[in-house]
Amino acid sequence: MAASIAGVFENDLQQAINSSKVFVVGAGGIGCEILKNLVMSGFNDIEIIDLDTIDVSNLNRQFLFHKQHVGKSKAEVARESALSFNPTVNIKAYHDSTMSADYGVNFFKRFAVVMNALDNRMARNHVNRMCLAADVPLIESGTAGYEGQVELIKKQLTQCYECLPKAPQKTYPGCTIRNTPSEPIHCIVWSKHLFNQLFGENDPDMDVSPDTADPDAAGDAGMAALKGEANDQGNVTRVTTREWAVKSNYDPEKLFRKLFHDDIKYLLSMGNLWKNRTPPKPLVFGEVPDAVAGCSNETDAVLKDQKIWSVAECVEIFSSSCRNLYSQQQRLDLGDNLVWDKDDKDAMDFVASCANIRAYIFGIPQKSRFDIKSMAGNIIPAIATSNAIVAGLVVLKAFYVLRGQLENCQSVYLRNKPNHKNVQIVPEACLVEPNSKCYVCSPKHEVQLCVDVQSLTVKELEEQILKKGLHMVAPDVITATGTVILSSEEGETTDNYPKTLSQMGVVNGSILKADDFLQNYELNIVIVQRCLTRDGPLFEIIGSETAKPGSPEKLQPENGQTDDDDDVVHVIDGESTSNATSSIRKRKLET
Amino acid sequence: MGEMASVDITEDEAQLYDRQIRLWGLESQKRLRKARVLVIGARGFGAEVCKNIILAGVKSVTIMDHGVVDEQDFCSQFLVPRSEIGKNRAEASLERAQELNPMVEITADKEKIDDKPDSFFGNFDVVCATECTTAQFLHLDNVCRENNIKFFCGDVYGFFGYIFLDLQIQEFMEEVTTITNTHEPTGEPLAKKRKTEKTVQNTKGTETYVPLQDALDVDWTSESYAKRLKRMDPSYFVMKALLKFCDKKGRKPSPSEREKDIESLKEFVKEELTKQKIREDFVPELLLKDVFAEISPVCAIMGGITAQEIIKTVSQKERPHNNIFFFNPLKCIGYSACFGV
Ligand SMILES: [Zn+2]
Repeated sequence: MAASIAGVFENDLQQAINSSKVFVVGAGGIGCEILKNLVMSGFNDIEIIDLDTIDVSNLNRQFLFHKQHVGKSKAEVARESALSFNPTVNIKAYHDSTMSADYGVNFFKRFAVVMNALDNRMARNHVNRMCLAADVPLIESGTAGYEGQVELIKKQLTQCYECLPKAPQKTYPGCTIRNTPSEPIHCIVWSKHLFNQLFGENDPDMDVSPDTADPDAAGDAGMAALKGEANDQGNVTRVTTREWAVKSNYDPEKLFRKLFHDDIKYLLSMGNLWKNRTPPKPLVFGEVPDAVAGCSNETDAVLKDQKIWSVAECVEIFSSSCRNLYSQQQRLDLGDNLVWDKDDKDAMDFVASCANIRAYIFGIPQKSRFDIKSMAGNIIPAIATSNAIVAGLVVLKAFYVLRGQLENCQSVYLRNKPNHKNVQIVPEACLVEPNSKCYVCSPKHEVQLCVDVQSLTVKELEEQILKKGLHMVAPDVITATGTVILSSEEGETTDNYPKTLSQMGVVNGSILKADDFLQNYELNIVIVQRCLTRDGPLFEIIGSETAKPGSPEKLQPENGQTDDDDDVVHVIDGESTSNATSSIRKRKLET
Repeated sequence: MGEMASVDITEDEAQLYDRQIRLWGLESQKRLRKARVLVIGARGFGAEVCKNIILAGVKSVTIMDHGVVDEQDFCSQFLVPRSEIGKNRAEASLERAQELNPMVEITADKEKIDDKPDSFFGNFDVVCATECTTAQFLHLDNVCRENNIKFFCGDVYGFFGYIFLDLQIQEFMEEVTTITNTHEPTGEPLAKKRKTEKTVQNTKGTETYVPLQDALDVDWTSESYAKRLKRMDPSYFVMKALLKFCDKKGRKPSPSEREKDIESLKEFVKEELTKQKIREDFVPELLLKDVFAEISPVCAIMGGITAQEIIKTVSQKERPHNNIFFFNPLKCIGYSACFGV
């Protein structure tokens, strides 16, 4: 180990390595590499956390894991493998979520430096807050394909992870998904919603049936008779898709007829939708074409998954995956649901076949299972070399932190292609100062929340705004007058959930005090009343960081979308592993 | 390597390599799995190169090293178990290297390169050499040139690292992105309606390389090179001094001789700068202080860059560096520059 040989490092660094306790968050692609570098450099006291287990598709880069480890805890196997480099090093592994209440500010305070090797924004936001609260330097890193980046986050010295607003996630309007798809991704999103409707947890935001409240369909004469069946949300409420499927015993032919024939006919009856669009063609089970649409020049030099199925093949795969998923579901305990997983063969087959059948109906190019998996599973291509380079940079930065040379901790970028000066590993010129108006790391934590107090419920405030939008984990909320709106104590404010904000006495100009005990984080939320519109977002958060005096109309939403997590097709901001509470997360590229 | 790779990828391989096939495509993966690579010198940097190309799924890797495992290996050589001190370094690395990917053929070779006939190198598509003398590097490069073998050489000294590439003539496909501004013909003010359009095109490219000898024999007093000095990073001269150090002393700088070796290195730098009529402070002394052993994070950076260049070369996808890549730890910068052309 480098630090146990005199003369390899300068004395101060050698001592710092020998005596510092460090924390690695994530044992995926970057985490494995960081752990190796730390052990070989001579660190004696390392802790590592990861919630994930090992998958075969990790093995091309997460080199501490081998085939026999598939299914085991990443953190624990990483620890064992790293111990073989140096059996005397002290490594503590946690197979757990970083966002668990077990890892509070005092837990973080024990470390000289924290190194993030995460793959999702949710966990990154959380660790950012924990390190700010504990005042521990955090080295944040990520890769996507050939690219990567490393940056230091230190309270009052540098920007924090939340100083700049992140670009909002890509989402698709419900009408496009349900009524008028025009791109393959629309059909893929619809199919994932369908999966959840049929086999997963019921979410009313993921309806797949025709949306009769589509503004584009307004004025349709033929709609009059049908309108009576729709509620004011636009959903046809005769029976839910789930109820209907249960009644039909998930018979693939019956499901097919409803989804790809009857519902399409229904859409066709909304004539205004098709004035300027190519109308869909309903399909009849047993009368589907066997030819492969739109790929005549297919070569044989492709993977099995890269071949595009004919519609007849799609129907076959649809039928068999339906049957298999139905029996998977019946093996579950009552009330439990399947969770869509790109690596589950039937779940993936189901989404790929449904997406292609729907695409065919709407005259949209069909895609291979391989490509649909990328889009539906938000897969970020990941390679060993980028992870190795970024992890090397992380540990070099950690050396500077431990020597107290924070001035040498400028961000570094790994580029896909060298820049015009042939630089591929590009250092930033200087540290970037914190945003004095950041609602996370500045002295004053305040945001404006534009929302309809007449319609927003306390439950929505908790789930959509405080957790998803403002990245809190277990928030408490009181009004300026001391009324408790939300408590993180189990069950204490459950009665408030269905109430609207206005029923809780919240009006335009009210200030709510939100407090997350775990993150040691308090935030003032100034309510700005805004009536809910049909296509508008449920809410908009205006972080003070984007406010430019004198030009209020230019305010950008920080994260004002009310999207479904699963709808996102764009790349994530990191390669390693999920430490968040849910298996599917929105992700984006941040390099 | 030139023709279309015809071997089919199995389902097992498709699963294992899924994430990288999604990045560089099936054709690249097929080319990779035909490539036979010789890695000469298996300390920390060599081990990192091996790890990355084995994970990527080349056909075979021969790890060649005649040296024995010593304490310094444990600064970064993670393929060797601690129990193997005193054993041959290549053989001691074999088991863990194989565990990284059972689908790659891995061989250990404990002979010295000087004992190998030139014909031996004809068994490989790529040679990547570290831990050699300048004379050995030059000889290897010549042999590789004669046999159309892609040649890489480089090393890590403490926090500093470099690699040199001689790919002779390298053809490749690269994605070229062009951004064009288009104006929509509407009544709206232009500023509002301006749209940028990104088009990505697959283009064929060629790079021509010079032999190592040319890259090392640069005349910095000549007009064109003297001009380059104005804005140049000094890493090139650090590399030259380190090569000279190793040639003269028959070893790399040693942690146990830290102060003495730093002084010798300064002398070598000064000698070269004087000879080339370059001012003495062109190379900051700080850059010569951390050149001991092979530091794990720097091996990871240089091993990552080198392996990625090997992957680019073999798969003929994307433009490789031409012809020396440096990692300067003082600025935390990694760049390539072309010498001797
Ligand atoms: Zn901040």
